[in-house]
Amino acid sequence: MSAPSLVTPAPTVDPVPAPPGVIDRLIAVVGERNVIRDPVDLRTYECDALTSFRATPSVVVLPASTEQVTAVVRIAVEAGMPIVPRGAGTGLSGGALPVPGCMLLGLSRMKRILEVNLDDGWIRVQPGVINLDVSKEISAAGYYYAPDPSSQGVCTIGGNVAENSGGAHCLKYGFTVNHVLGARLVTATGEVVDLGGTARDTPGYDLLGVVVGSEGTLGVVTEVVLRILRKPEATRTFFATFPSTDEAGACVSEIIGSGIVPAAIEMMDRLAIQAAVAATGVDWPDVGAALLVDVDGCAAEAEHTAAVAVDIARRTGAIEVRVPRSDDDRMLMWKGRKSAFAAMGRLAPNYIVQDGVIPRNDIARVLAEIARLSDERGLRVANVFHAGDGNLHPLVLYDAKVPGQEHAAEELAGEILRICIRYGGSITGEHGVGADKAPYMAEMFTEADLDTMAKVRCAFDPGTTFNPGKVFPTPRLCGDRPGPYRPHTTELAGLADRG
Amino acid sequence: MTAASIDALAAARQERPGTLVEAAEVLRRAARENERVLFLGGGTELSLGAPPAGVEVVLGTERLDRIVEHAPLDQILTVEAGVRLGSLQAVLARSGQMLALDAPWAARATLGGLVSTNAFGPRRTRYGGIRDLIIGISIVRADGTEARGGGKVVKNVAGFDLPKLMVGSLGTLGFVATVTFRLHPLPEAQGTVAFADLDADGVRRVVLALRQAQLEPGAVAALVREGGDDLGVRFDGRFELGVRFEGFEAGVRQQAAKLVELGTREGWGAELLDPGTAAAFWSRHDRAREAPAGFRAKLSAQPSELERVANAALGSLFPVLEHPRAVSYPVLGLAFVAGDVRSTGPVVAAVNAAREAVPQGSVVLHAAPPEVRAAVNVWGPPPAALGLMEQMKDRLDPGRRLAPGRFVGGL
Repeated sequence: MSAPSLVTPAPTVDPVPAPPGVIDRLIAVVGERNVIRDPVDLRTYECDALTSFRATPSVVVLPASTEQVTAVVRIAVEAGMPIVPRGAGTGLSGGALPVPGCMLLGLSRMKRILEVNLDDGWIRVQPGVINLDVSKEISAAGYYYAPDPSSQGVCTIGGNVAENSGGAHCLKYGFTVNHVLGARLVTATGEVVDLGGTARDTPGYDLLGVVVGSEGTLGVVTEVVLRILRKPEATRTFFATFPSTDEAGACVSEIIGSGIVPAAIEMMDRLAIQAAVAATGVDWPDVGAALLVDVDGCAAEAEHTAAVAVDIARRTGAIEVRVPRSDDDRMLMWKGRKSAFAAMGRLAPNYIVQDGVIPRNDIARVLAEIARLSDERGLRVANVFHAGDGNLHPLVLYDAKVPGQEHAAEELAGEILRICIRYGGSITGEHGVGADKAPYMAEMFTEADLDTMAKVRCAFDPGTTFNPGKVFPTPRLCGDRPGPYRPHTTELAGLADRG
Repeated sequence: MTAASIDALAAARQERPGTLVEAAEVLRRAARENERVLFLGGGTELSLGAPPAGVEVVLGTERLDRIVEHAPLDQILTVEAGVRLGSLQAVLARSGQMLALDAPWAARATLGGLVSTNAFGPRRTRYGGIRDLIIGISIVRADGTEARGGGKVVKNVAGFDLPKLMVGSLGTLGFVATVTFRLHPLPEAQGTVAFADLDADGVRRVVLALRQAQLEPGAVAALVREGGDDLGVRFDGRFELGVRFEGFEAGVRQQAAKLVELGTREGWGAELLDPGTAAAFWSRHDRAREAPAGFRAKLSAQPSELERVANAALGSLFPVLEHPRAVSYPVLGLAFVAGDVRSTGPVVAAVNAAREAVPQGSVVLHAAPPEVRAAVNVWGPPPAALGLMEQMKDRLDPGRRLAPGRFVGGL
């Protein structure tokens, strides 16, 4: 199988017009200025943060309430239009990429925080609320929302729910799915269904667990109940430099092996460190690898685990261990790490952000394989990753102006995913499958696995209205609902029969 | 499960596959012959749900008892469905690790069964439930197709979350063949602080104070004194609360001391238990969960409502049950009430009263005699998403042959 196109832009074409009458009906629901159909305005929505894939929707609708979402979903379904939901468009896998002829359903206007319940530890929000704004809302009371993707200042909760977003601190605290207690879902039939809730263990199947991370393929989430946590008493951070990723990898394994569950343990290689220095001005030395570690908990526990972890770092070959002198100092260290992707622009005109997962203990072996590929292909690869859970973010650097280099970069990025699969890992740890990695699903999963997932999708959306072309490597139709024959309600009422 | 339905199961064809290939063959044959199938692990929660309607095949997992993979450095584990929780923990302990799941009946309960019933114990307070620990699954569908979801790395968002879909699905969507979990380090130390005599409001105040003081307990449970074999044992509204800290010695000592100080200052009567007394508290907890009972109900409410709800439920159930007992997990908003039924009518009335007290939560009967089951739905009112659940059942088990009728809404 050849590498799918990661970077080749699709030619921009004029939008497929919406079927007759649809625009007027949408305007009647959400108002003139929330129905975008000017071809120039539509271009804003032709891609998400994976800018190499582009397609123009027929229309963009910006509803403001669950009722409006329900109404516009019904209009699209009746008109036979696919629906592509979108939050802030920060996704890196093309999950919000329009399909030609679709109605793009933007949730950016639904950005109200609806209810805060500190005693029971939850907050109810609309999907367009920015991730960081959740923590800001409750910070003064000493609470926070744990999942912290690097884009948390701009990405929305709805998008986080769709992608099951992670972040640096999910090793200890889990992913979005571990923090969503309930969600209101608008289905393909325009029904509104509440999944989960503020009490645990709602009887029935855990459909909430399926909806989180389903990348907008099962319905539209219009309200979310999030679990919020009390801030830990203490957080201890340190930054350690190593001659190479071998020693840094060994340090990670030993820290985890000692029984410590760090809140975060991030690794950067030489290129990533150089980029962060160039972009943010952190005074990090030019070394082969660095770790940024957070431990937290009660004060005595944080002190103890930080001391043990620092000791391990020294023992496994750290050149230097730095402890932040102040909160500002700590924030700067984290800024250096979180800006690493964007900082790559300092090192090369173009780059591909890859996202794959390997068993943690194979970090050194996999990095060696990536380095070998990088040498063979003559392309630099920077590595920034969540080392504690084996989530790699290799950044493949290239120059699109050099003939053939873009294609070679695509090939290399694809090879890295195959390494992840070969080591028993995953093709995505947090960026999602989207349009980008759908072809690789067939390499990670068998036909039977994918068929089973398709059945799950059909249970929610038998017409595959929502976000078609994402997640699955090949289009799948659902066919009729199987199962025992059940008389239609009109038959029961004597209005029809099966003659 | 009632005597009649146990007889019916005994009459069914008993299959004990020794490999996953054989298990798939059992399901393919059942599909060909249009037979209804029940999956059987340790049999600890057979009475959960309605008795399945007419089962021709019982697929037991006792020979599927291998640990497929334990990677201590990656802190992951894959087991076959029939592996028992107690013996698994003993194996993991040799590597200084544990599965953070302390569900009841560990000696008998199998991992396949625990996943299917969404079982849990007091550690859920800190580590979450099975849905937070499971990272991968392989299933055999009703048609005999083998399929996987998730994987063996902790962080993974490729494809739909089949593992979570299977948690608590009670064998009605497919056969859980193997399960992959994330593991945790065995805590170096633990210490329990007890509050001997609190009312419901006191329990709630301790829970809020724990959070306010930024304490992070590993387990929190409130027990109600067990009643005798006479009916009419009044619930007196008093709880015995245990808060266990676990982790590194320094952290455990600091947190326990802080809680004792806080509890003493507030006049709640906090005491750090010596190891023997702490063990006795937690074995009273285990006995309250595990002792045989003809009636067992699980209550779920918002944490702030739990004790009020528990009071309403316990106040009505205690006087009508023999040997009544109860455990509540106040941080989670979950509780169990158990005892034996001598007379149906008052128990039915008490269940209905408990349900009225938790409109936002649920009361599910994990065990009840047939007369009680005839009078109340063991699952309670149909959930809001029942329509979607029916669709899910029809997509994955279109012939409705897997534990038919046992689950919510007759699925």
